[in-house]
Amino acid sequence: MSSSITVAGVTLEVEEAGKGRPLLFLHPGEGMQPHRPWIEALARDHRVIAPHHPGFGNSSLPDWIATVDDLAYLYLDLAKQLGLKNAVLAGACFGGWIAAEMAVRDTSRFAGLVLSAPLGIKVRGHLDRDIADMHSIPRAEFLRLSWADPANGAIDFATLPDTELAAIARSRESLALFGWKPYMHNPRLKRWLHRIDLPTQLIWGDSDGIVSTSYGEAWQAEIPGATMRIIPGAGHYPHWERTEEFATAVAAFTGKL
Amino acid sequence: MRTWYFSEMAYHPAWEKGLARGSLRVNFPSENVDPNEAGTLLNRYLDEFALCDDVGIDIMVNEHHSTATCMTVSVPMALAVIARETKKSRLLSLGNPIANRPDPVRVAEEMAWLDCLSGGRLEMGLVKGAPYEIAPANSNPARLMRRYWEAHDLILKALSTTTGPFNWEGEYYHYRNVNIWPRPIQQPTPPVWMTGMSVDTGTMAAERGHVVGTLLSGGTAKPMYDAYRKRARELGWEASPDRFAYAAIIGVGHTTDEGLRRADIIADYVRTAPVVAEPFTNPPGYNSIAANTMILKGGPRANRFVTDRNGEPINHRTASVQQFMDTETVFAGTPDEVYEQIKTFDTRMGGVGHLLFFGQGGLLDHKDAMENISLFGKEVAPRLLELHAPKRAAAE
Repeated sequence: MSSSITVAGVTLEVEEAGKGRPLLFLHPGEGMQPHRPWIEALARDHRVIAPHHPGFGNSSLPDWIATVDDLAYLYLDLAKQLGLKNAVLAGACFGGWIAAEMAVRDTSRFAGLVLSAPLGIKVRGHLDRDIADMHSIPRAEFLRLSWADPANGAIDFATLPDTELAAIARSRESLALFGWKPYMHNPRLKRWLHRIDLPTQLIWGDSDGIVSTSYGEAWQAEIPGATMRIIPGAGHYPHWERTEEFATAVAAFTGKL
Repeated sequence: MRTWYFSEMAYHPAWEKGLARGSLRVNFPSENVDPNEAGTLLNRYLDEFALCDDVGIDIMVNEHHSTATCMTVSVPMALAVIARETKKSRLLSLGNPIANRPDPVRVAEEMAWLDCLSGGRLEMGLVKGAPYEIAPANSNPARLMRRYWEAHDLILKALSTTTGPFNWEGEYYHYRNVNIWPRPIQQPTPPVWMTGMSVDTGTMAAERGHVVGTLLSGGTAKPMYDAYRKRARELGWEASPDRFAYAAIIGVGHTTDEGLRRADIIADYVRTAPVVAEPFTNPPGYNSIAANTMILKGGPRANRFVTDRNGEPINHRTASVQQFMDTETVFAGTPDEVYEQIKTFDTRMGGVGHLLFFGQGGLLDHKDAMENISLFGKEVAPRLLELHAPKRAAAE
C-alpha cells in the first residue's frame, strides 16, 4: 500500500506492508519500478516501510535537496516522525549508501543494519573503479553486470504506460544528481564507518558485477562486528533476483536482534 | 543577414577507424591521432579562417572534447590566434560550454582578454553543450541548466562590474573577490549568444535579449524562433532578425554541380560526427523527462532531431546531399541558387539575421575550402547583408 508522507517539507511516496518490527527499506538506484516482490517477502516478518527517494516514483524533489547527506537527514527525520524504535535499517545498492550515511550519524532508533551490495565508499586507487561505471556502458552490458541472469532484469519499456516511463526517466535523472560526481560514493564515508554501533549484516550476490564481494569485504573490515552473507545465483540486486533467499537471510538476522 | 564562417577543425584521417569502432567520441583512443598531422591540419584550418577577413565575412569557432570530429578544445585559444590574423571580422565564440566549466570567472577573464585583443570584435556564446560533452568534462547532467544559469549570471556580472571586487556565494560557484583584469571593451558585455533547439530555449533567450542560434536542425528551428518572438512581445519588445542565427552546411561553386560536390564533401561531417557510443548520447538529466519518456518508448534513436519539411526524420549516416538540402541542413549550388535557397529559408523562418556558414567538414581539400569561402564571401554574403538591415543595437 502506498501513502504520502511529508517530512521536512519533502513529500515522499512510501510503500508499506506487514506487521511486526519496523524495517525501513531504502531502494537501489534503479528505483522500485515497476515490480517489487521483495516488499511482500520482507513483510512476512516485518512492518516494511519503503519510501521512494526524492525524485523517484511520486516523491517530490525540492531544489534544495541535492546530496546523499540530504537524504540521510531526511530519512532520520522520517524515522523520528514515524516514531520508529528498535527498527531495522536496510538499504540496497544506492539505498545502502544512504543507510550507511544515516548510521554514521544517528543509530538511536535502530536495532540492526542490513546493507545489500551498498555503493558509497572508495576503497582502491585513483585508477581503479570500485564501482562499475553504469553510465558508460550500454543497457545490455549493465544488465549483464547487475544480474546473474540478465533476462531477470529486462524490462520491456514499450509495454509500460507513459506515467511509469516518466517516473523511470525522472528517477534516472535523480540518481545522477546524487551520485554522478564523485561517482556513487562519498570519499569521506569509509573513515567514519567505525561509528556504526549496530549489529550489521552485509548481503552480497555471488555474481555482482557492479560492486564485487571484495568491495564488500572492505565494508566488513570497517564496520565493527559486521557479518557477510553471500547469496548464490544473485547479481547486484539479491532482494530482486533471489527474493526468497534475501528475505530468509534478513529474517535470520533480525530474528536475533 | 550576416555570415559567420565556421569549421570544427576535424581530424578526419581517423574517421574510418572511428566509424569501424562505432564511436568517434569519448571512448575513441587518442592513439588514433598523429599529432604531427593534427598540427598540419590545424594550421591549414586556421588559414581558412583567416581568409574570411579578406572576403568580408565574420568568423565563428566552437569546441568539442575527446573527439576526431573537432580538434578545437578551447574556443578562446583558437580565437586568440584568429584575432591576431584578422582585422575586421567579428569573432563569435559559440561557444563556451559553461555548465561544464568549473571556473566561470576564468571564462569571463578569457572573454574580456579576447575582446581587448580583437579591438571589441568579440561575440560571446554561452552554451549548454552537446550531450556527449558531459563525459569528457565529467559534468553532472542533472540540473545542468541550473548550473548553466548560475555560471551565466556570474560571467555577465564579472564582465560588467568595474568597481569590484564582488562576492559570489551561490549554489555551485563560490568566490569572494571577483575583479577581472582587463575588462572588455564592449560594455556592459560583448553580445551574448545561446544555442538550442527547444521552445524553452527560445523563451529563456528572449527574457534576456540574447541571440539564439540553432545548428543544422532544419524544421525544428522555427518553433524556437517563434517562442522567442512571442516572449519578446509579451515583454514589450519586438525581436528583430538579428536575434536569430542558423547554422547550415554550404557548398557554393561556379556551377551547380561544383557547389553540390563541395556540399556533399562537407556533409560527410554530419554523416560521421553523430556516431558515438550509445551511453554517451543521452546522459540522465540532459534531456527533459518528456523527451526521455519518448526515448524509453522508442529506443535511443527516437530522439533524432533532424527532420525534413514534413517532420520525417532522415538518416544522418546515409542521407544524400539532396536529402540534407530538403531538411535545410545544406544549402548548395551556384551563388544565385544558394542565395535563393537561403532567402526562401529566411522567409519561412520569419527572418534570421545570422547565417552560420559551415564551410569545412574536414574532408574538403584546402583549395576547395578557400574557393568555397571566397566565392560565398564575394557573391552571396553581400546580398544576404541586404536581406534585412541588421540592427546591432542591444535588444533591450
